[in-house]
Amino acid sequence: MINRVRSRRYRSALSLLSFVMPAFALYLLFLVIPMLQGSYYSFTDWNGLNKTYGFVGFRNFVEAIRDDHYFRSAIWFTAKYVVCAVVFQNVLALLLALLIESRRKAKGVFRTIFFMPNMLSVIISTFMWVFVFSKVVPALSEHKGLSFLGLSWLGEPSVSFWTLLIVSVWGGVGTLMLIYMSAIQGIPQHLKEAAIIDGAQPLHMFRYITMPLIAHALTICIFLTLNSSFKVYDLVYALTGGGPGRGTQVITMNILEEAYQGNNRYGYASSKAIILFLIIFVITMIQVTVMKKREVEA
Amino acid sequence: MSRRIYPTAAWLVLALLAVYFLFPIYMAILNSFKNQSEIYRSVLSWPSTVRFENYSDAFRKANMLKSGLNTIIVTVTGIVGIVLFSSLAGYKLSRTRGRLSQGLFLLFVASMLIPFQTIMVTLTKMARDLGLQGSPFGLGVVCAGLGVNMAIFLYHGFVKGVPRELDESALMDGCGEWRAFFLIIFPLLGPITFTIVVLNLLWLWNDFLLPVLLLNDYRAYTLVLTINMFFGKYSREWPLILASLILSSLPIVVIFAFFQRWIIQGITDGAVKG
Repeated sequence: MINRVRSRRYRSALSLLSFVMPAFALYLLFLVIPMLQGSYYSFTDWNGLNKTYGFVGFRNFVEAIRDDHYFRSAIWFTAKYVVCAVVFQNVLALLLALLIESRRKAKGVFRTIFFMPNMLSVIISTFMWVFVFSKVVPALSEHKGLSFLGLSWLGEPSVSFWTLLIVSVWGGVGTLMLIYMSAIQGIPQHLKEAAIIDGAQPLHMFRYITMPLIAHALTICIFLTLNSSFKVYDLVYALTGGGPGRGTQVITMNILEEAYQGNNRYGYASSKAIILFLIIFVITMIQVTVMKKREVEA
Repeated sequence: MSRRIYPTAAWLVLALLAVYFLFPIYMAILNSFKNQSEIYRSVLSWPSTVRFENYSDAFRKANMLKSGLNTIIVTVTGIVGIVLFSSLAGYKLSRTRGRLSQGLFLLFVASMLIPFQTIMVTLTKMARDLGLQGSPFGLGVVCAGLGVNMAIFLYHGFVKGVPRELDESALMDGCGEWRAFFLIIFPLLGPITFTIVVLNLLWLWNDFLLPVLLLNDYRAYTLVLTINMFFGKYSREWPLILASLILSSLPIVVIFAFFQRWIIQGITDGAVKG
């Protein structure tokens, strides 16, 4: 009897493993092992090429946080970018969702227009923006009398910061808008009607009906934007290349520069990557825990 | 009074924002038909003569047939791998109780937080050791490995809504476990499979950093890599560059035009459930 139970359990485990094995093997090879190796190398001075390397303990981490001027300014720049990108993308996406949902006609057209950039490769669409900022905007400022546009959009770090945001909002709001739209559609009709009968003005409606009932969408969207903004790379690469100088360098770029491009300090770059991972992990965990508590059921 | 103002104001704001969103695409299309001197002279005006030869030039010089084919290989390999392996694993993990199944599922889900930068160099090394570096097919295989976790998560959730009686009756009728999966279960996973295909299509078709690291030979380049190289090489020849940007975006725009409703549904589902 016991034998039969055991053999059945054994068989079921075997069948489980046979279904899971192909996916698990790929996952192990290309995600888990590289992750473990990367974590291990972050405690070494490996250059990414040599057969030999030394174990340095936490020295990489200490150097990155205490002494690495470029890394610290990249963290600072990325932090500023994350705050602005998360706020602007979500505010605009929510605004678009509300405006589109409030319309009776042409919903689909507007949805398509605002979602369009999300289909394109970031590299390719950002090159279009490079054209706009290097050829079209100067022409507008010279010939059409819009002289306030005559800034050095791609050449001056303090201006390029805003250029980055203009492009990142353009490319980022589409998906968020869709999530907000589906949340708004999910608000029960009778709640809206009750509020209108009670004489609620549109702003009150937004504050007391819409906002609380789309709180779950807000949690998701802020999580998504935090995550993607901390890891931003393609956009900055295509728009400014991190320059001029290192004026617009983000964390991911600093890590790549350290691992390749002549520096070849792979162990050191890995420890920076671990720091990035920890920053994202801690911040998104706090965000999700805090925001989950504020969600309500309709 | 206010009833009139709101719709008009809403329309105005939407129209203004639509200009912001369409402007760069419109400018790129407009100027892709001009020649260099006309772009420098009058960038805002309509092209005096429509030059389609910019497109044929770009198509030839950027070797788009080859890089388009490479992109298709990467995308198809990745998507087939992800859909096939994740549906098997997600289904079985969802149906099996017990610590082994829960533990495996948790491992897959937890790994969704790993940022690519943490693994990129060791991943490149792994791909080189396995002989997967330098070929679009190899890149597709690596992408399948990176993409299974999210797909398993989505399948796992979806399978909960598929009645258990279906598998049981199939097994009772003498159908093997694998045949039951492919004949009965997999067709029922259609909606979530579509979502997974869409999400991964956008990722694989447009990805940049991973292909840069894995494809070190320009003959294996995907469209995005080719355009990036092209942009560096012909940085002042805007007609050529703009035409190449438009050309390389066309396939995905056409797909979008045909499947818009399902794609939008798929992306919303993927985000809300994931």
